[in-house]
Parts: sequence; C-alpha cells; structure tokens
Amino acid sequence: MKDKNTLTILILFVLTISTALVSNFGVDWNWLVLTIMGVSAIKFLLIIFEFMEIKKAHSFWKFITIFYVVAIVLAIVLILD
Amino acid sequence: MKQIDYKNIFYPPGGILIWIVIFLELITFGIALIALAIFSKEDPEGYHASRLLLNPTYGAVNTIFLLSSGYFMATSLKHFKSGNKKKSSLFLKLTILGGTLFLILKSIEYYQKIEHGLGMDYSTFFNFYWLLTGFHVIHVLVGIVILTSVYFGLNKTKSTTNLEDFEASTAFWHMCDLIWLLLFPMLYLIL
Repeated sequence: MKDKNTLTILILFVLTISTALVSNFGVDWNWLVLTIMGVSAIKFLLIIFEFMEIKKAHSFWKFITIFYVVAIVLAIVLILD
Repeated sequence: MKQIDYKNIFYPPGGILIWIVIFLELITFGIALIALAIFSKEDPEGYHASRLLLNPTYGAVNTIFLLSSGYFMATSLKHFKSGNKKKSSLFLKLTILGGTLFLILKSIEYYQKIEHGLGMDYSTFFNFYWLLTGFHVIHVLVGIVILTSVYFGLNKTKSTTNLEDFEASTAFWHMCDLIWLLLFPMLYLIL
C-alpha cells in the first residue's frame, strides 16, 4: 500500500474490533488481560511511530515511548494477575 | 517550507515543549490507571459489577471516532507539508468532526449514567470512571479549540500558520488518542 497512514488506520481498526470481540469470548481472564493490554500497547506504538512520526525522531524519543508503554502495560498486567 | 532536523534530540516532531507536556500527561494518566488496578484488587467483584454497567459498544465506537480523527489529522499534516493547504484544511475539518462526534457520544453516555444514578458516589469504580474520562474529555475539548484556531489561521488570506505550530497541534491531538487507548480497555473491558 502506497499510503502508510491508510495502512496504519486499517490495522488500528482491525485491532480495535478484535479487542472488542475477544473480550466477549470465554477465554481465561489472565490471558484476556494480557491480550487486551498487549493489543492496546501495539495500537499506542502505531500512533506514536506512524501518526506522530516518532520513527523520524532521535532514538531517545523512540526508546522513551516504548519504555513508557511497556512499563504501564506490564505494571497493570502484573497487578491484575 | 522550512526543513526541520527531526534527528536532533531537541526537536522531535512538534517540538520538545509539546513532548514534555505529552509525557507529563501520559505519566499522570498512567499513575491513575495503576491506582485503578491496585484499588480493583481490593474489591474485584464490586469493580467487575460496576464495570458491567458501562456499555463497551459506546467505548468501541468512540475509539473508532478518535482513531479516524487521528488518521485525518496525520493526513492533514502530510498535505500541509506538501503545500496543499486546501486538502490540509479539508482533513483538519474532518479531524474536528471526529472529535465532535466523540464528545456527542460521550455526552449521551454521561447523560444515561446520570439518569441511572451512576454518579461519582455510586462506587469507587465510578469515581475513577468520571475522573479519568472527565479529564480526557477536557483534553479533547482543548484539542478541538486548538485545531479550530489552526483551521482559521490556515484559511486566512495571509496565513501565518507555520510547520512547528501545525506539528505541535497535531501532537496534542494524537495525545488524546493515546490516553483513550489506555482508558478504554481498563474501564470498559478488563476489570
């Protein structure tokens, strides 16, 4: 696909709909939390890297954004475990 | 158009000041979400029962509205950079429309919650719900005001809107998406 923004939004839509559907399945609660928060982290990074163009920025900004989302999601998953 | 060296550590897209604001906001909301997770461990059944009183469809549709408006914003910036102000302006309008639809649906949701007596004092979960989503709504409102001002600036006969201002406004708008992406699963799906 030529336009990366269009590809990104399509992936974001698919991930959002999948998350909403997965939450209705009778899967193990721990796996559900991990899956839903993991997908949210991927969506978060897609927006930061593609829409906010952090992919063009200095490595410091790439590192700090990845660190933030991994830390928050991991903390929530571990607390709720 | 002025070229910006994005590889410079002091100039991420939008400028360092807006990124300091973004990180302060993300850290604040992050701490609040961690607090929500900790509190929910003390009364999992109560939090789960309260969470089931929310309508995840509203949350999912609002996610689609915000993601779409984020896409329109990124496209508007792309056209602004290529010097196509007409298209940039059109996508900016669509961005504002996405934000407005989000606010309309949120207002409907708020109205229904108040009608059913699910206010802040209903439970600790609803305390978190109103505070977190309320502060997020304020950010969306501020974002719409900023984008409206950029829109009018862009459409002036002698436009003074520069790339730095446009990118900073874009970054602020995307920040609203980012916060919502963390709020939505926590409040509507997993507790």
